[in-house]
Formats: sequence, structure tokens, C-alpha cells
Amino acid sequence: MQRTEERAGEAEATDADRTAGDDTAPGWPRFWPLLLLGAATVPGVVLYLGGRWMETPAMQAWRTVCLAVTVQALPFLLLGTALSGAINAFVPAEVFSRVLPRRPVLAVPVAGAAGVVLPGCECASVPVANRLIGRGVTPAAAFAFLLSAPAINPVVLTATAVAFPGHPAMVAARLLASLGTALVMGWLWLWLGRAEWLRPVARHRGHQAGGSRWQEFRVGFQHDFLHAGGFLVVGAMAAATFNVAVPPSVVDTFSGSPWLSVLFLAGLAIVLAVCSEADAFVAASLSGFSPVARLTFMVVGPMVDLKLIALQAGTFGRAFAIRFSAATVVVAVLSSALIGGALL
Amino acid sequence: MRRPLQTTLLVLSGIGLLRVSLFTDLYLRYVTEGMRPLLIASGALLILLGVADAVSYARRREGDEHTDHGDSGHGHHHSGAPRAAWLLFLPALSLLFHAPPALGAYTASRQPPKVITHEDDFDPLPATSPLPMTLSDFIRRVQQDRTRAIKGRTVQLTGFVTSDKQGDSWFLTRIVISCCAADAQSVKVRIHRTPAPPANTWVAVTGTWHPGGKLGTSSAPAALDARSVEKIAKPANAYTDALPLTPTR
Repeated sequence: MQRTEERAGEAEATDADRTAGDDTAPGWPRFWPLLLLGAATVPGVVLYLGGRWMETPAMQAWRTVCLAVTVQALPFLLLGTALSGAINAFVPAEVFSRVLPRRPVLAVPVAGAAGVVLPGCECASVPVANRLIGRGVTPAAAFAFLLSAPAINPVVLTATAVAFPGHPAMVAARLLASLGTALVMGWLWLWLGRAEWLRPVARHRGHQAGGSRWQEFRVGFQHDFLHAGGFLVVGAMAAATFNVAVPPSVVDTFSGSPWLSVLFLAGLAIVLAVCSEADAFVAASLSGFSPVARLTFMVVGPMVDLKLIALQAGTFGRAFAIRFSAATVVVAVLSSALIGGALL
Repeated sequence: MRRPLQTTLLVLSGIGLLRVSLFTDLYLRYVTEGMRPLLIASGALLILLGVADAVSYARRREGDEHTDHGDSGHGHHHSGAPRAAWLLFLPALSLLFHAPPALGAYTASRQPPKVITHEDDFDPLPATSPLPMTLSDFIRRVQQDRTRAIKGRTVQLTGFVTSDKQGDSWFLTRIVISCCAADAQSVKVRIHRTPAPPANTWVAVTGTWHPGGKLGTSSAPAALDARSVEKIAKPANAYTDALPLTPTR
């Protein structure tokens, strides 16, 4: 009822507009009250209906999940962008060339293993990896770091051990499968990657002589945060949509076949976009699935998910994000199937 | 995005985070208790960043007015933020003015029940009657305790109401999160013999185990024959399966 009234109101308003445009000053005042009425009621009705729609249980759940993903990720995103700002302003570029082996093939495993030191979830690693590339680190090594950091740091491994009590093999399998995927992806980039897929890197390149380091830190930090934060919201919306639209009871229908269940949990990890510090608990709760399928969930999740794809597309460019994420999923599934098959 | 808008966005996000974490308990609708210090620190940092940005902007404008040399726009391009940053206004304003409620019956009714962790050794039950228990403890006692200590005992469980479309029973529910509301799982106990209160009401239910199957094995239903149902206030930290801190009247 209200909707038809609203439509009628709009039609009248546009009619009034047209006539008002056709005849000049004399015809104008006649439609004046109608126009005014339309202008007064239409936005009100739209707001009211929109408000009612936002208060339905499904929309409330959607808003809660969306806000929860954002709030959970914000501190880690701030940590990552602060770190990337600090690398930009305070760390001289020579440090990286001195620490990392000269040959890119060797730099990949070193950078991958260095992921152990970034205690946080995946949102922190995207800006840091971007900054590393900006400071002259070979992209292959930066990508190995990007993939390994959220999966193999002590916080995440501890969470995994807590979620799977009595299964130390699960922790070891997660460490090995994640590190393996990161290294293979780094080498794959050396072999097949093309620089033109990457968006030209950020404009602020390190410390400029004469500028204040603190000023540079602040500007880089703020720019990276606002940039990545916007894409985080896009990812959170997508994840919330899947969370609310796909009932978890669908999950049970796939748990029968071993191969299907591995692929299904890989897909689930991508659309749910659970933070890497929490995904072990979610994996533990998917008890209908084989251990290999659950391992796949924990290996794919921190490397590829909706919010990460959005973040990467914003940071490195869409051409890169699509190719890189697709390749990572394939490598991660194979790696978890291999290592899970051997260890679990 | 213009410079003053960026400043506004940073400060608004910061105040929003502080509002839900420092001044109220609203953050518990979205994340766990352990996130509080991180959220407060993030809020303070964002406000600091916004203030620093405003100060530097004001200073630069002042400098531009005084010196007024031709290339004043030269250094300003660095500060342009992408259009996607506009989206950050949504969570910021939502936190400030219209925080959505905690997940409830809608989410719980669409989820399969959470798997309860396994336990082998059970201590004897305390003699108190009615005995306050968490939903997980109750389910564990019913489905895993071979000594059947729960048989004939009067227990008191708390949670919120989730209605069940078929049948005349309903679910007493707790939603449990391990990190944020995106990984919510629900623990449910079916309640018999009383009409369902409105969905999402927090209640304390007193009653005895609803017989069926073989007690102490997974064939026993996680269900309760209710003797009384009392409304209670919603606990501050609703996303846990814990006993209420204050005794319910």
C-alpha cells in the first residue's frame, strides 16, 4: 500500500516537474503545493520503509555480523598500517637488501619464514607487504611473507593448539601446509608473474631528505589506513551477506564425500572470511568433516577470503588480486591435501 | 576525499570505537571481552591521528597564506584518500548512533546445535537444589555421564528463547563466539511442558531432564521438563555459556 502511494507520489512529482518546465511563470504556482507535498512526503516514506526494512531480524543480523567483522579487524588493520608507515619512514632501504639474500629464489623462503614475527591476522599483512615492495623487496618474497604471516605466527598456532586439544599433528600440519603454500606461490610468481599486473606502488617512497620523519610516518599511516579500511568494509559486507544468506545447515550436506568436502570447506573459508585467529575454533566445530578438509579450511582462510580479495584489489590492483587469489586457492588445496594426507 | 573530511572520518571512527568499548559495553555484541584494550587503544589512536591531521592542515594553510608562492598545491596531492574510504563512514556512524543488537533467535534458529566437547570424568553433582548449570554442562551430563547423576535432579538453566516452528516445545539458547559475531555457534536445550515466551526473551528455566533414549549416551535428548520459567535481565556478556553472576530472583 505505502509503496504504491509512494510511487504515485513520485509520478505526480515528475509530472508536475514537466508541466512546470513546459509552461513558464504563469503555470508554475499551481503545481507548487503538489511539488512541495511530494518533496516533504517521499523522502519521509522512503526513510520509514528503509528503516523498517533495516529492523527486520535478517537485516539486523547482517548489520551485526558486518560491524563485528569490521570492529574485530580494525585494531589489526591499524597495527599493519602503522607498521607499514614506520617501514616507510624509519627503515632505510638498505636494511632489506642486507637481510634478504640477493637471489630472489632464496629470498622467498627467508621472507616466508619471517612471517612468524607478525603477530596478527591477515588484515595487517596486506599493507606491510605492499610497503615492502615499495622499499625494493622483490615482489615474490613480499608475497611469500603476505601469505605466511597470518597463518604461521605464534598467536594463530597457539589458537590452533587450543582448538584441537590432543592433536599436535594438526598444528604441525597447519604450519607446514601454510608455509609450503606461501613458498610455492612466491616461486610461482618468479616463474610466471608479470610486473604489469601490479598497480604502480605508492607515491611516498621512503624518507625524503629535508622532510620530517614523523610527518612522513603520519601521512603514510593515514593514507594506508583510510585506503585499506574502505576495502575492509566492502569485504565485511560481502562476508556478512554470505553469513546470513547461506544457512549453516547446508554445510552438513557436503560432509559425505572426501573430495567434495575438501573443496566445500575451501569455498566456505573464502566466503566466511573468519579472522585467522578464530578460524581454528570454527574448523574444530565442523566436526562432520574429515581432518584433511578442516586443515584445508585453516590453510585457505588466512590466505584467500572475500575481505582479503577486496583489500588486495584495493592495494595491488584488481588484475593482480583475481589471478593471485585463484592460484593461491589451487596451491593451498593441493598443499593441504598432500600434507594432511601424510600427517593426519 | 577532501582533507577536512578525512579528519572528520578519523575522529568519528575513534569516538565510535571509544563509545562502544570505553564508555559502554556495546562492544560485547560484536567481539569478545579480550578485545577491549585493543579497541580502546585503536579509538585513541584514531582520534590522535585525526587531531594531528587537523593541526598539520591548519598549519599548512596558515603557511600558504603567509608565503603565498605559486606552487602551493604541489605537496597536497599526497593526502588524497581513495573513494572507498567513504565506506568507513558506515561503521563509524553505526557505532556512534545506531549500534545493531546482539545476535539472537534469528541466527540460532538457522544453525545446527554446536558440538559439545567430550569429557570422560565427571565429579559428583553438588547437592544444591535447584542446581544452576550452564547449557553445555547440562548436555554433557545428559549425553556423556555414565553415572547418570543428573537423573531426577532439579536444575536451573539460563538463556534466551528461540521458538521452534514444529511442535509445542521451544529452545533455551546461548550463542557462543570465539572471536567475533561472524563465528557464532549456538547451544540449545529443548524445553517441554511450558508455552514459549516471546523469542529473544532472557529466562531462567527450572526443571528436570526430559526422559527419552538411554541416559548417558548420545541417544538421550538434550531436553528439560520445565517446572517454572522466570524472566531475567540480559547478562552483560551474552556470548558465553556461563552461569549468571548474580543469583536470579
